[in-house]
Amino acid sequence: MGSMLGDWPSFDPLNFSQLRPSDPSSPSRMTPVTYCPTHDRCQPPPNQVIASESRNILLRNMYKRTEDKLRSKRPASEILITDQGLKHPRTSTAESPF
Amino acid sequence: MFKSNNVTARIFQRQICTPAPGTSIYSARRFYENIVPSCTIYDVECPDHSFRKFTEDGLYLISFSRNHQDLIVYRPRWPSFSCKEEDCDTHELPPKAKKFEGFFTELYSVSLATSGELICKDFFLYMENNQFGLFATSTAQIHDAPAVGGAVQGVPCVEKITFHLLRMEDGVVLDERVFWSDYVNLAHSMGVFLYDDLLAIVSLRYQRIHILQIRDSGNLVDVRTIGEFCREDDELFLYSSVQSMANPDKSKQLHQMTVNHAANGLHHDRPAGETSFLSGIKQRLLSFIYQGIWNEETDQTLRMQCLKKKFYFHFQDYVDLIIWKVQFLDRHHLLIKFGSVDGGVSRNADNHPAFFAVYNMETTEITAFYQNSTDELYLLFELFCDHFHVSGKNSLYMNFISTHSNNIHNLEQLKSNKNKASSLSQFVKKMLSSLPFSCQSQSPSPYFDQSLFRYDEKLISATDRHRQSTDHPIKFISRRQPNILKFKIKPGPEAGNTDTRSKKISSFLFHPFLPLALSVQQTLFLQPAVVNIHFRR
Repeated sequence: MGSMLGDWPSFDPLNFSQLRPSDPSSPSRMTPVTYCPTHDRCQPPPNQVIASESRNILLRNMYKRTEDKLRSKRPASEILITDQGLKHPRTSTAESPF
Repeated sequence: MFKSNNVTARIFQRQICTPAPGTSIYSARRFYENIVPSCTIYDVECPDHSFRKFTEDGLYLISFSRNHQDLIVYRPRWPSFSCKEEDCDTHELPPKAKKFEGFFTELYSVSLATSGELICKDFFLYMENNQFGLFATSTAQIHDAPAVGGAVQGVPCVEKITFHLLRMEDGVVLDERVFWSDYVNLAHSMGVFLYDDLLAIVSLRYQRIHILQIRDSGNLVDVRTIGEFCREDDELFLYSSVQSMANPDKSKQLHQMTVNHAANGLHHDRPAGETSFLSGIKQRLLSFIYQGIWNEETDQTLRMQCLKKKFYFHFQDYVDLIIWKVQFLDRHHLLIKFGSVDGGVSRNADNHPAFFAVYNMETTEITAFYQNSTDELYLLFELFCDHFHVSGKNSLYMNFISTHSNNIHNLEQLKSNKNKASSLSQFVKKMLSSLPFSCQSQSPSPYFDQSLFRYDEKLISATDRHRQSTDHPIKFISRRQPNILKFKIKPGPEAGNTDTRSKKISSFLFHPFLPLALSVQQTLFLQPAVVNIHFRR
């Protein structure tokens, strides 16, 4: 099979097929974790990269609550005008180098 | 993870078992149940200094001279002695091992305060990755100082406050920052917050938050000053607009001058504007409150009524709010506590209304605003307390302090206090009064870990504050083996105090990871303190 675990017996022959054979030059390198969908109702977008959000959960909660308050009671006509100014950036802010 | 309580069995088990993912530090901490500071040397003969604390990496013991002029730094070490007998454990420690010098080596003594100044003994902040220490000296406080130059009436004034940045290895002063005719709350480092390499200093008198960065070279660099202005170029923009409006011919010359002025740094002693504008941060706050109330109603008439009742009626109260205290929530966000002038300087601010705002320094927007009795903020506090206790990414031990968000025993205690409270809003106010947290105010010692030991929080806790001293020893009881006493900490002389009338206070200094602690008991009068060393023999 060529996997790191050699030809050890396994319940499902397809198990451990993702593991690459150990490279003699860098024996401890692991492949990046791959998330496999557990259902086939929809396919994940291709080339999707899952990373953790840099903003912590407390701040995320505070931003979400403020956004909900600002969004929930506004009439539709005003959303178009004021959305630019009030919308907080959704994307996680990168650490600024200072 | 460990099946046995025996330390040898645990060591063997550690060789073969892997702890559950993410729990390696907690598993390693369980060895502290076996290694406890159970031996006490009473009334150690030591230099008459005020011992302040151990640094978070355990490398230094900070102390100040009694006259508040000098800093003396010790290196904690372990006593070593040899015993020629066969069975040494039963022997008493030799007299040489029982001395203060057996446990601490003096590294250096630095004179920080010049004449007229005193070191603030309660103030010390440590930057772990560079081993820099921040100290403060100040001149005497002037009460009833006139409120000139944009100062807030009612806030005391100190002629000169100096922050000294020292390299702890050798005591060299790397940089200083002076605040003239200002007031920063130095007690228990309340007015200053250190997060990683960012420092937030709150000038109560001029209502500014100075953000500084501590460089690896040891320089203190101004990053921004939040208060009248929010963005770095607000001041420049305002000046150039004012000048060009006043005198269109000379505007170009004056523009050049203001550019030079601004380029010299944000920290010049220009008196704050006696303009009719509200300060930048206040404007941000008021507009956020306004928008929040505006969005509550869709109907125009109801909206105006709501605004009148909730905003315009209280407008002057909102304008009169001042910044009390600040902490970082991450590199870009500040949690700012606002309140009235009276509450900012009094010791007990419980009866004064207070508000919390989360401010994003990058976008200069207020993200959230709460009154101190809101359930919403309390819920966030209950669930995510650890995120209010921010510690830098380089600090290892500070991330494992027991709070009610990471420890079941703390949470049970909190819930039981909540159920016992007569009024929920009073309880919420009391809990939220601890926000914003002061940085580095809790000891990372594993002996305060509530999953390992149970102890009386009124007599001793991770927070470094002076407490009422008792003659009875303070017991640390194991959590996992209920009712088994692991060790006792007894401040004061071994035989107890002969003079029972005078009030005594104790403070405790625990080493972050060694089984070593100092207890210092002193009376309120200037008698020499009784210092005990608690360690594991």
